[in-house]
Amino acid sequence: MASVTFSKATRIYPSVPRPAVDALDLEIEDGEFLVLVGPSGCGKSTSLRMLAGLEEVDEGSILIGDRDVTNLKPKDRDIAMVFQNYALYPHMTVGDNMGFALKIAGNSKEEIGKRVAEAARILDLEQFLDRKPKALSGGQRQRVAMGRAIVRSPQVFLMDEPLSNLDAKLRVQTRTEIAALQRRLGVTTVYVTHDQVEAMTMGDRVAVLKDGILQQVDTPLRLYQQPVNVFVAAFIGSPGMNIGHFELDGEEAALGRARLRLSRATLDALREEGADRLVLGFRPEALEQVGADEPGAFPVQVSVIEELGSDAFLYGALTDIPGSSVDGSHIIARVDPSRPPAKGDVVHLRVRPGMQHIFSESTGRRLPD
Amino acid sequence: MSVAVDVGDRAASRRQGGASRSLRRSGDWARRVPLLPALIFTIVVTQLPFVATLVISFMNWNAYYPNERGFAGFANFRSVLTDVAMRDAIITTIELTVTVVAVSLLLGLVVALLLDRSFLGRGAVRTMMITPFLVVPVAAALLWKHALYNPEYGLLNGVLKGVWGLFGAAGSAPQPDWITQMPLLSVEIALIWQWTPFMMLILLAGLQSRPLDVIEAARIDGAGSWQIFRYMTFPHLRQYLELGALLGSIYIVQNFDYVFTITSGGLGTANLPYAIYQTFYQAHDYGRASAAGVVVVIGTILIATLALRTVSSLFREETSR
Repeated sequence: MASVTFSKATRIYPSVPRPAVDALDLEIEDGEFLVLVGPSGCGKSTSLRMLAGLEEVDEGSILIGDRDVTNLKPKDRDIAMVFQNYALYPHMTVGDNMGFALKIAGNSKEEIGKRVAEAARILDLEQFLDRKPKALSGGQRQRVAMGRAIVRSPQVFLMDEPLSNLDAKLRVQTRTEIAALQRRLGVTTVYVTHDQVEAMTMGDRVAVLKDGILQQVDTPLRLYQQPVNVFVAAFIGSPGMNIGHFELDGEEAALGRARLRLSRATLDALREEGADRLVLGFRPEALEQVGADEPGAFPVQVSVIEELGSDAFLYGALTDIPGSSVDGSHIIARVDPSRPPAKGDVVHLRVRPGMQHIFSESTGRRLPD
Repeated sequence: MSVAVDVGDRAASRRQGGASRSLRRSGDWARRVPLLPALIFTIVVTQLPFVATLVISFMNWNAYYPNERGFAGFANFRSVLTDVAMRDAIITTIELTVTVVAVSLLLGLVVALLLDRSFLGRGAVRTMMITPFLVVPVAAALLWKHALYNPEYGLLNGVLKGVWGLFGAAGSAPQPDWITQMPLLSVEIALIWQWTPFMMLILLAGLQSRPLDVIEAARIDGAGSWQIFRYMTFPHLRQYLELGALLGSIYIVQNFDYVFTITSGGLGTANLPYAIYQTFYQAHDYGRASAAGVVVVIGTILIATLALRTVSSLFREETSR
């Protein structure tokens, strides 16, 4: 087990102007479960493959523990990887699949048998050891891929969207299993996903990437509560954060009838920037339903109500902004599931004080509250 | 509400069922009838000769003894399998087929592995590698016989002379008479030259259908290049090797052009097709020639059955992935 350090690691594909991964700086502690998340093409898989040695590092370096592995071959890095399509060896039995790395490393037959049996017991694969991958279900294949990784007791686990080929229910179940297994084994793990729910539920820390550039690394909760920029704010959370471009009106931010008092620190930061506009974000649960004459309340026409039982979400449009229609200027709010408004109603909402996120319009960065 | 719609739909489709079935049947016939002439023609052209061969193979029918024509039972087959010349022809056929298929598979594998890497001008090299397979067999055989093997003006002996000439000993260069000294090998080399591209194509297709992530997984599991070939590539290629071997065997068992052109069946190079040709056109023993032909067909069907099984297992693999 070891820590992993990316130090200004960069990958540039020939004939592509923008680096796929741009000066990635990332410290992953020993035994930590770190999730790399971002939209497709953000460089998360490339980063993982650089760590695996499947992708060259053009600039910077990568360390596993204190060892510089930047130019080492994959086999010399002491890592194990779980692939999106599992990449099981199709002509080998489950047992041979799991024992292949040990066999290559020259372990004795008894040793291999013992370790494969142990991994099979942990993953509940004992009765499948003699089957070929073809004869297994998706979930079982996924477990074999996990088994192939844990049999080796490597320094680091790398997982490249290992759940994306499972159906929704199995994905949720396997998600918790993998997280629990990782806690038990205590092996440093780097996990790539595009699914922010997976990222939030599994990771000790989550690194958000966009266009090859690391946006923020933090615990899931801090990512949710203190996103450093508009991209992270919009990416994390489901349903997503409401983001609006507000005007500065005295000491208040204003958009139509929506008004929000800004703090001294925010105003100072805006003045320093010389901005008269700002980006304001508020999560669905930061909105509350109030009476029409409450200060700062703004009217919203309800277009859809999503009732999930424990929660209800209102999808609506601001009615008092010129040019806005039911289709445009969407707003999402969590409402009381016991008495949700009806479709077509006009309700009044207000941002609960202190629950807003304020960003600079020009840089997208978070401003002090 | 949707349930009611569903039931209504099903009732309607049941009502339509009977009508549409008879409609479909007459529609099928409307499509099939215009095809009939072509079908009958195909049957006449491809199947009748075989039936005729089968019938003749059980007959005593030699053009030199027209009065003895009649039913002969299994006598022709017995003589095909016991006659020394015929037995030699069978052995030559096996030897020729096995050598050509094995060597061209091996060479094809080497070339395919080289062509699987990306390098500048790969497309051009691939096209050039395929060309031997595109040459008409008779033309290729003539080329080998005259332009390459000929002891007087052939390329091989010319090159030998040139190489020896570099050391000032052009006069003492060996000038073997290739076809006389190694008749079967000459035929085999020419056939290998023509069939290596075919094997290469099949194996290259196999190589390029290798799942990339499996190879990557093996690299991470610590396998080196040789181990990846041994444990990943080779098992994946197994079916393609089988397919190449079987398809190649079917064609080379039937090969006639090379034997006829290069050696005219002399010096122990007469294979079964050539022996059939001799029995038919020189001995005019139609019955025995037909019996030998049937033996070749049976042999080919055996190989072809295996070939088809291999192909279908390839498809199974493909769909299960």
